[in-house]
Order: sequence, then structure tokens, then C-alpha cells
Amino acid sequence: MTSTETPVRTSSAPRRAVPVRPFGRPPRPARTRTNLTLGAGRTTRVLALTVLAIGAVVWLLPMAWAVLTALKSDQDASDPLHWLWPEHGFTLKAFSTVWERGDLPLWMLNSFLIAAAVTVVTVLVSAMAGYAFSRTLFAGRRWLFVLTVAAVLVPPQILIVPWFQQMLTLHLLDTYAAVILPQTVAPVMVFILKKHFDSLPRELEEAARIDGAGHWRIFWSVLLPLSRPMLAAVAIFVFIGAWNNFLWPFVSTSDPSLMTLPVGITSVKDAYGVQYAQSMASAVLAALPLVVVFMFFQRHIVKSVATTGLGGQ
Amino acid sequence: MTGTPASVGRPALTRRRALTAALGAGAAVLGAGALSGCGSALAAGDSTVRLWDLFSGADGGLLNDMVREARPDMPGTRIERTVLEWGTPYYTKLAMASAGGRGPDVAIAHMSRLAGYAPTGLVDPWDLDLLAEFGVRKSDFADAVWSRTQYEGRTYAIPLDTHPFIVFFHPEPVKKAGLLTKDGTLDADAFSSPDTFLAAGRELAKASGKQGIAFGYATDTAQGWRLFYGLYRQTGGAFTLPAGGPAEVDVDRMAEVIAFMAKLVDGRTNPKRLDYAAGLASFTNGQTAMILSGEWELGTFRAADKNVGAAPMPTVFGTPAVYADSHSFVLPHREHPDEDHRRRTHQAIAALLKAGQIWATAGHIPAYEPITRTPEYAALLPQEHYKSAADHVVLDPAVWFAGAGSDFQNAMSQVLQQALLDGLAPDRAARAMVRRLNTFLAKPSPA
Amino acid sequence: MSSPHASPRPGLPALRRLFSPGLLFALPFLVLFAVFMVWPLGQGLWMSLTDRALSAHAPSFIGLDNFTEAFRDAEMWRALGHTVWFTVLSTVPLVVVALGMALLVHTGLPGQWVWRLAFFAPYLLPVGVVGLLWIWLYQPDLGLYNHLLDALGLTQYAWLSDESVAMWAIALTTLWWTVGFNFLLYLAALQSVPDHLYEAAAIDGAGAWRRLWSITLPQLSRITVVITVLQVLASLKVFDQVYLMTKGGPNNSTRPVVEYVYDVGFTGYRLGYASAISYIFFALVVLASAAQFFALRRREK
Repeated sequence: MTSTETPVRTSSAPRRAVPVRPFGRPPRPARTRTNLTLGAGRTTRVLALTVLAIGAVVWLLPMAWAVLTALKSDQDASDPLHWLWPEHGFTLKAFSTVWERGDLPLWMLNSFLIAAAVTVVTVLVSAMAGYAFSRTLFAGRRWLFVLTVAAVLVPPQILIVPWFQQMLTLHLLDTYAAVILPQTVAPVMVFILKKHFDSLPRELEEAARIDGAGHWRIFWSVLLPLSRPMLAAVAIFVFIGAWNNFLWPFVSTSDPSLMTLPVGITSVKDAYGVQYAQSMASAVLAALPLVVVFMFFQRHIVKSVATTGLGGQ
Repeated sequence: MTGTPASVGRPALTRRRALTAALGAGAAVLGAGALSGCGSALAAGDSTVRLWDLFSGADGGLLNDMVREARPDMPGTRIERTVLEWGTPYYTKLAMASAGGRGPDVAIAHMSRLAGYAPTGLVDPWDLDLLAEFGVRKSDFADAVWSRTQYEGRTYAIPLDTHPFIVFFHPEPVKKAGLLTKDGTLDADAFSSPDTFLAAGRELAKASGKQGIAFGYATDTAQGWRLFYGLYRQTGGAFTLPAGGPAEVDVDRMAEVIAFMAKLVDGRTNPKRLDYAAGLASFTNGQTAMILSGEWELGTFRAADKNVGAAPMPTVFGTPAVYADSHSFVLPHREHPDEDHRRRTHQAIAALLKAGQIWATAGHIPAYEPITRTPEYAALLPQEHYKSAADHVVLDPAVWFAGAGSDFQNAMSQVLQQALLDGLAPDRAARAMVRRLNTFLAKPSPA
Repeated sequence: MSSPHASPRPGLPALRRLFSPGLLFALPFLVLFAVFMVWPLGQGLWMSLTDRALSAHAPSFIGLDNFTEAFRDAEMWRALGHTVWFTVLSTVPLVVVALGMALLVHTGLPGQWVWRLAFFAPYLLPVGVVGLLWIWLYQPDLGLYNHLLDALGLTQYAWLSDESVAMWAIALTTLWWTVGFNFLLYLAALQSVPDHLYEAAAIDGAGAWRRLWSITLPQLSRITVVITVLQVLASLKVFDQVYLMTKGGPNNSTRPVVEYVYDVGFTGYRLGYASAISYIFFALVVLASAAQFFALRRREK
């Protein structure tokens, strides 16, 4: 199982559904909801805002510290006396050094290619299977579906050793295929998409069937277009999981030129030793893609987590 | 962290665009045949020799210099280094890469690790004829080190250096304490028994005005074992580890060594609770007059005190023995090695060995003896003063689970730490070590 | 597949049933599922009964030896203990803090976008970044946290190298990193609390605290159970951040069982033994899931 499960994280493993209507409705004027939850009192409001602001500062502090360190010279970064403000001013040198070393862009590209491939394969394959379980009859359907749902329980961590052995047998260690393929098995996504297809009305496809459309036409031209928001939610979730996945890419690649971002920046060291400004510069650069994407697609990502995160129970 | 909640106005469009982009990228990947597994960097130019090593910091810089220096001796060959995290992570990655058959062309490995690598088929043997062609022969290496490169009559490692565990000292307080000989070297006689060693520590504490001898070991995964094993071998006690166990060791002598170590870090004349970094700091900032340390820290110490002195680990328990290890070159296993490329790799390694003078500046004793015989090497101080350590080196026991960065060293160091820090009685610590040893011996060998 | 009671043309319907469109649709998934889930599960089980090593040596069948060894292996129990301890240590704040954040943000106070970014953004960081960042934050002499503690006149900590602190430090990092996920789940659940409940309460003159206690929290009880279940299962699988920040140290005092599998299998070359421990860990996960499943079922009755 896989990415979707974000095996990397400690938050994941979808299981049980809750009626969720996340952020779907048009935003109401903020005052209304504040009135509803906090009442009209001024004190409560100021108090809540203060707590919130403190929380946000505490949460943003580590990232701010990383950026600050990355903008220092190596000398200033390891100066215990001027720990907050650099003595010799700010510089972009750490960024240019790590970028020019060439590994980082390569790992980003690897991460992107691998996450994209995992996403495309997972979404397509899971949607097809979801369709099959929802809309067709075939021998062993029920039984296979029960098996799929049961497989949600299997933590990918316990498959690390056999996957490794398998890739060894197939002579695939240290290839993209080895990193990608095991991540594409996502029983949870099959389950979510099956339930999603179950919830779609059948009238449209019946009309299409009368027009002589086969299963593929119905799937591709009727159901998929109807399911775009759901597919987007699943795709985003799978992509984030694969982009951030650590354990399996870490185990399946030893060749630095095939490593993904999280594996590369932590495994490969600099010949000249640990330099904190550079270490933070690579951290910032590595964090940037998803954080920027989040800023632009906040609404979609939030929705994706809310719908997919619970595993559609 | 700035930005505006963009895209809120037209979610459908942006979503579609993002999806299209992702789909397009995915399709491109699939189209490019990435799934067929041709993405490996094995294709990296034929003239490139890919080298894995674990040298970061001063050593890492010097290896870069060596690669540059070696260039004329390996025309047309480029060495591409990959530096991985020292210790367990490095050996784990190396073993996994070798098992997969797509490892680097050549890698650095500690000699103490070879017992786990050669019999398991993770590394391939070197071709001595080929090396001789490039001017490197068996006779160029000390027998003590060379004997460890052998397995079933073949040579699985080419040693780059020997790096013993020695003592460093600040000459001034040591002189003040009367522990320096006339020619400026350490008076080894003053350290020749546990009692005199501890007495010398008290003198050093007096002379430095602070504390005597530093040893950083707390939470370290190797330091305790390094000091222990070197000292234990000085007692002449047996340390035989037959496959399957049990270990044949002298528990009394082990306890004796542990008792000595515990007194050495009593917290009165010498600092007690030092971890590795704190140990270095206490010596570089002059808190202590002497430190028990690997020679690889020479660069750090010299930066703090350009006159820093060094000597082989004194013989405290009768028989000269100095704990050491050796960085060596190994050939990660290949199913079907390319003859020409293997030849190129042999040439590159021969070239690197001959650039060993640069490596010696870091403090390591080059294993390729034509280097240590040169006047340039003799002029290196304090390296010249501890060169003799190479004559009495003891490496980790040659068993599959031992060696640098191994779980075994970690386990042994943990027990020692309980004795040194938490007051576990020496004899009980010794027995605990034997129990752990037997657990390791009982595990099936992967070979 | 074909029926024994030979029908006139037994081959055709059987074939058609075999290649029915439904099966064809499910086939790509089923193939991947069989190759990368069923096969490895079987192979793992088989390997756990052999002494397979990370080497050229041919494995031999050794029965249940790996399992007997594992049950007597103090280090394995210790690692399992760390996993459970981490689960307790991380789950509680990951649920409580997420709830607090969501309640505050849901009030609709100005700056919604900033709050969501602040609390959720860390979740989007690859663990490699989280590891590098927090090693630096926790650095004893140069790290931010010790500087801040020092500035406030408090004791400094050897965050990652003190046995009594390291696991807490890792849990703290985990809280920072992944709380955003639970926060979003709570936020989504809060939006489905019907407004009319609040309106009715307002008419009754209930204050903010009353509304929280008697409307919001009861409405969230179900999602809280779900989030807790998901969190426990996720925390049991911890490996990445521990491996990256402490390698399971100091003195293996933070090594979780998944890292023990990695250490035994790849560092110690013993793939067979590592498979056995994987299965023991799997049993723990199944047990935890079953316990939670029944707890949930009883609740719903």
C-alpha cells in the first residue's frame, strides 16, 4: 500500500467516514459566525484572537528560523553570540551554493517525476477498480472487494523487507520502477472511489447505454467528468503522500542520482562538513514547491485532505 | 510567507489546469519509459569512477585534494565522489547497494567491517596483478594491516590508512607536570600502569589548573568500546569469538580494564560526563591538558593549539596494543563487472594511494608505505610521533557483526557507559558485556 | 471455472465470465495488488521462517526459530515499548491541540487564510526537511530553542542526546509537523455543525463557553473518536522523524519497532528475522485496530 496512506507521516490511515461538507459553501461574512460561536462580547474576541496569534507565531517560528539561518553566512550561522541577527549582514550565498552543487534540482525533479507517475497510475487504476466494484458484476467481485478493504489495514512499513527482496529478485533495485510501483497500490483510494461512484445517480449512464455506449465510454465520458472534484481530491492527496514519502524511497534507492528530495537531502552529505546555513538553505528550497502550491491552491488542498483524509467512511 | 488567497475566484479553471499539468507530466514520465527501469545512473560516462565515502569535514576536503593530486596518474579518468553519513547509515546503504548489484564502482570501508562484507559476497576481490601494473604491491603494506584484507586467499580491501586511537596533549601543562621527555615527546613510562596513569592525570589537573585527561564517551556509539578494547588487548587476555559462541574471554581482566576506565572519568581530576563533542571542546578550550581520542581529530586540535602534541596510546597493562581501524577501498559486488571499467578503477585507486601524503596531513598514517618512508612524512609533526602506533594495532575482532559503525560497538559502548556513568560494578559490567557478546555470537551469520 | 455439468458450449460462457468487462476494469488494480501487496505479504511470511540474509548465501528453512528468538529478544520488546510510548505521547496533544486550533479558527476571526497556512503548512513539508530543521532548532549550542530558553533564564536541554528528553522532543516535532492534518479534519467537521443550534442557544442567552460545552463539543464527539483512531494507527507506524533526528538514540532510547526492523534487516543483514518482527508488529497494529473497531461499535450502539 502506499503513498495515499502517507506512510511517512504520523497522521494518515483513513478509515471511517463522516459526513463532511468542507468549505464547500460560499464563505459567509465573518461576523456572523463569530457572533454565533463567540457571541458579541469584545473580551472573548480579543482573548481568542490573542491565543490564535500566539499559536500562529509559535507554529511559524521554526520556518522563520530556517529562512533566517539560510540567509546568513556560514560563519554567522554558527556564531553563538550573535545568534539572532547576523554580524556580517544577509547573503544568498548558501542558496546559490546548494543549488549549484546540482543535487538538489535533480532530487526535486526525481521527486516530481515519481510523485506524478504514482499519482497518474494510482488515480487511473483506482478509479477503474472503483468503477468495476461499483457498476459491474463479475466472478469474485464481492470477495475481491472485501480483500481490498481488508488490505487497508496492512501498514506499508511491514512490507519494506519483502519489497526489498522482491526488487532484488526482479533486479529492479535503484530504478524508478522500484520506487514507483509499490506506491501505486492504494486500496483506500479504491474504496473511496467505489463509494463515490455508488453515490452518483445512474440515470445518466442509462441514457448513455441506450445510446449504445459500452463500459469504457460510460466510465470515461460520463462518470469521470462528473467526478472531477473527487478525482482532484484523491490526486492531490496521493501526490502529497508520494512527494513526501520517505521510508520506501529511502530503502529502494542507494544511487544518489535516483534519490527523491526527502531522501537525498538527508542521506548525502557535503564533503566539507555540516554547514548550517547551507543545510537550512536546502531545507527551505526543498520545502518551497509544496508550500507555494499550497498558497495558490489552499482551498483545493484543504478540501482534498478533508474528503480523502478520513478514507471516505 | 506572503501571498494572497489566489485562485479562489476561479477554482474550476485552476483545478483543471493543475490536473492537466499533472496528467501531462505523468504521461511524459510513462512515455519516457521510466518504468522500464532505465533511469539508473549506471550510464554515467565510462570514464567516471564513482566512489562512495564517509568523509565529511576536514577529511572530506583532503580527499578532494587527493583526487586532484592523483589526476596525472589516471589520465582520462574522473572520480565522482558521493559522501554519505558516517557510521551505521553508510554501511547499511553500502550493503544494500552492493546486494542490489548497482552500487558504486568503489567504496571506502573500514577494514573492521570486512568480515561482514567479504564472506557474504557483498564485495568483489581486487586483482593484484592489475594493481601491480599501476605500481602498487602487497609488499608496500604492513603485514599487520594486510593480513586483514584477506579472505579465502583473495584480497578484498586495499588499505588507505591506519587510524589509531591515541593521546593528544597540550605541551605546556604536560611539561609543567614533568611528563615530557627531553626531546619533547610524551613520557610513556609515567603512564605505564593504571595507578601511574591516574597519578599522571592528577598531576596534569594540577598543571592545567583545571582538569587532567578528557575522554568523551557519553551517548557515543563507539568511544567506550574503542578505549576498552585497546586496553583489554594490552592485558594479553583472550578474546576469541567462535561462531555460535560462547565467547572465550577473560572476565577478570575485562573487569580490571573497566574499573580503570571508571576511575579515569571519576569527575574529580578528570571530567566525568563528557559526550564526544564536549570532550573535544574541553580539550580545545584548555579545560583539560590531555585527551584520549582518535588521531582523526588532529585537524580540530591543531586549529586550537598549533603545538598540540601526540603519542601512541600508552601501554597501561603490560603488552603494547593500540586500538585502530583502517580506511580501505572495496569493490562493491557486480554481477557482470565491465573489465575495462574495473581496470580503470584499479588505476584510480593506485593513483589515490600515491597521493597519500595529503591524507597524512589529516593525521592518518598512510597504509601505502612508500609514503611514510619519505622525508616529507618524517617532517610532519606530531604525526611522526605516533607513527609507531601502527606496529601494534589491534582492530575489532574479525567477526561479521563487529566493526566501525556496527550495532555491536554500540551495544558494548552502552554497557561500558553504565559502568562509567551510572556506577554499574566493573565485574557485573564485564559479565553483561559477555552476555551481549554471546547474543551476537548466537545469531546466525549471514555468510 | 467452467461448470462440471457440461452445458452445450461450456467454453464460451466461462471465458466470457472470466473476461467480463468488470474484471477487465479491475484488472490493472488487481495485478498491482497481487504483485505488490499479496506477493510481498506471502513472501514476508515465508522469509520469516527462513534465515534469509542480505547476502549471496542461500536461505534455509528454520521453522519458527525467528519468532522464538524475537519473543526472547529484549531489544525488540524495548523497541515495541518505545513505539507504544510514542503513540501515547503524540496522540494526546495531536488531538487536543488540533481541536483547540480548529475551535479558534472556526470562530471566523479575521485572518482565516493566515491561520490555516500557519497550522497546516508544516504538514506539507517532506520529512527530510522536518528532520534537518528540527535538528538545527534543537542544536544544543546554536539552536533556536536553547537560545530562547537562555534568554528567558530557563534551563537549556540537550534535546536529542539526553535520554530523558529525546522522546519528548521527537513528539514535540511530530506535533508541530502533523497537527495540521487533524486540524483540517476538525475544521471540516465544525463547518457541518448546523447554525440553527447556535441561533437557538443565542436566543436562550447562552454565553460563548456554554455554546462550546453544550453545542460544539458534543457535536464533535464522533469525529474526535475517528481522529483519535486514525492518529493511534498512524503513530504506531512512526519511523521517519525518529530515524532522521536521533537514529533511535541516544542509546537506542527512542528506537521504534519499525526502525528495529530496518536495523535488524538491513544494517544487521538479517532479512528473515526482520520479516518475523514485521509480522509481530503487524499483529500489534491489527490488535489495535480491532480494539478500536469494537470500542467504536459499542459506542454507536
